Amino acid sequence: MENDELVQNMLLELRRGVLSIAVLSQLSREEYGYSLLKALSDKGMEIDQSTLYPLLRRLESQGLLQSEWRIADEARPRRYYVISTQGRAVLSKLKREWSAMAETMKQLLS
Amino acid sequence: MNLIDKYIAEVGKYLPRRNRADIEAEIRSTLEDMLEERKQAEGPENEAMILELLKEYGPPRKVAESYVGPRYLIGPRIYPIFEMVTRIVLAVLFAVALAGLGIALARSSVTGPEFLKTVGESALGFLSGLITAFGNIVLVFAILERVLPAKEFEKETEDWNPAELASEPDPDRVSFGEQIVGIFFLVLFLVIFNLYPGVVGFGFFNKSDWVFISPVLTEAFFSYLPWINILVLLQIGFSVYLLRQGVWNKGLRILNIVLELAGIALAVVMLRGPSLVALTPEQLAGTPLAEAAQVFTRIGNLIPSLVLTIVVIVSSVEVAQMVYHLMKSRPSSTYPVMK
Repeated sequence: MENDELVQNMLLELRRGVLSIAVLSQLSREEYGYSLLKALSDKGMEIDQSTLYPLLRRLESQGLLQSEWRIADEARPRRYYVISTQGRAVLSKLKREWSAMAETMKQLLS
Repeated sequence: MNLIDKYIAEVGKYLPRRNRADIEAEIRSTLEDMLEERKQAEGPENEAMILELLKEYGPPRKVAESYVGPRYLIGPRIYPIFEMVTRIVLAVLFAVALAGLGIALARSSVTGPEFLKTVGESALGFLSGLITAFGNIVLVFAILERVLPAKEFEKETEDWNPAELASEPDPDRVSFGEQIVGIFFLVLFLVIFNLYPGVVGFGFFNKSDWVFISPVLTEAFFSYLPWINILVLLQIGFSVYLLRQGVWNKGLRILNIVLELAGIALAVVMLRGPSLVALTPEQLAGTPLAEAAQVFTRIGNLIPSLVLTIVVIVSSVEVAQMVYHLMKSRPSSTYPVMK
């Protein structure tokens, strides 16, 4: 029971670390918060609303995302997010770093 | 107002006003999307469905917190200096209270009730002084927390070079602790002389009674007060600006010299003018000091002149040091001016 909790906490930290990359990777096409949440979840990356929205705002304030409020099909305003040019540059660097890190981890764990 | 409206209003309570509306709109949009999806899966909307949805979204306070992050009255960056100032001030207060208690005990009869009364009164006085002092320190630091730019502290940490441990400190670097302690005492000065001039004085125990002699500050003093206030405010403004800049440069040094010279000029004018306090033998009548009232009033009336003379001497030495520094200093700082 105690170990389970420790594992859960560590997983949470691990996931928090990679979430920015996961979010940036899914925003080459614009998405609103909930659709992004679904897209990530469909691909196996479960994420809490209370984590995702603040993260989106932070990435936007860092200039990696752009957003705008728009009324689309159902006549309800939604905020659409899409990756910025700077975000693309950052993402491509992060991808390389991630691959290297994954490789290192694989060696460490084998 | 439906449940979702109420929920959003509740979250809004814990959000900073600045981006409250925007965050609220986003939460609403998400909740509506989630509700929409449930309606498609489970049929028409009902209260139980909404309750479950809100339960899943989380407690309002927690949702708001995830947007805002921790907020501090006095944050970790200036906390160490806050702790240092608090310790010094409280230690001084404690020492003063102990000395006062010692004098009081020496004067009162050491028997039962008298003794307890003296100790009790001293303890109460110490306690109220403690709370006032602590309140003032917190106030000053809470303001500094909001005025000082965050970048400043990051920069200082980033620029850290282990070699500095061995070398002389950079003379152009602004000492944070010194400036903040300085600001604290300047604010204390403003508060005391403008709001509570009555507390300026000295007190002692006469038998079991606490006698407080407040040498009445004269009209002459209050006619100088606006000028003193202007100088003190300028000095506080200058210190805050200095903290934001992080490094001294030629212009700032010259400005500092000008401020010091203005202070010296005012002190000299005050020294040559009429007396600043009016302590009369009548005020001491009935106290143990009455026997030597003449001597004590003379000493009491001399204190302001003494303080002013010290101010003039210390400031003059500082000006001399700064002028010397300016003459031999490098043309400009090698550090970039921080923004």
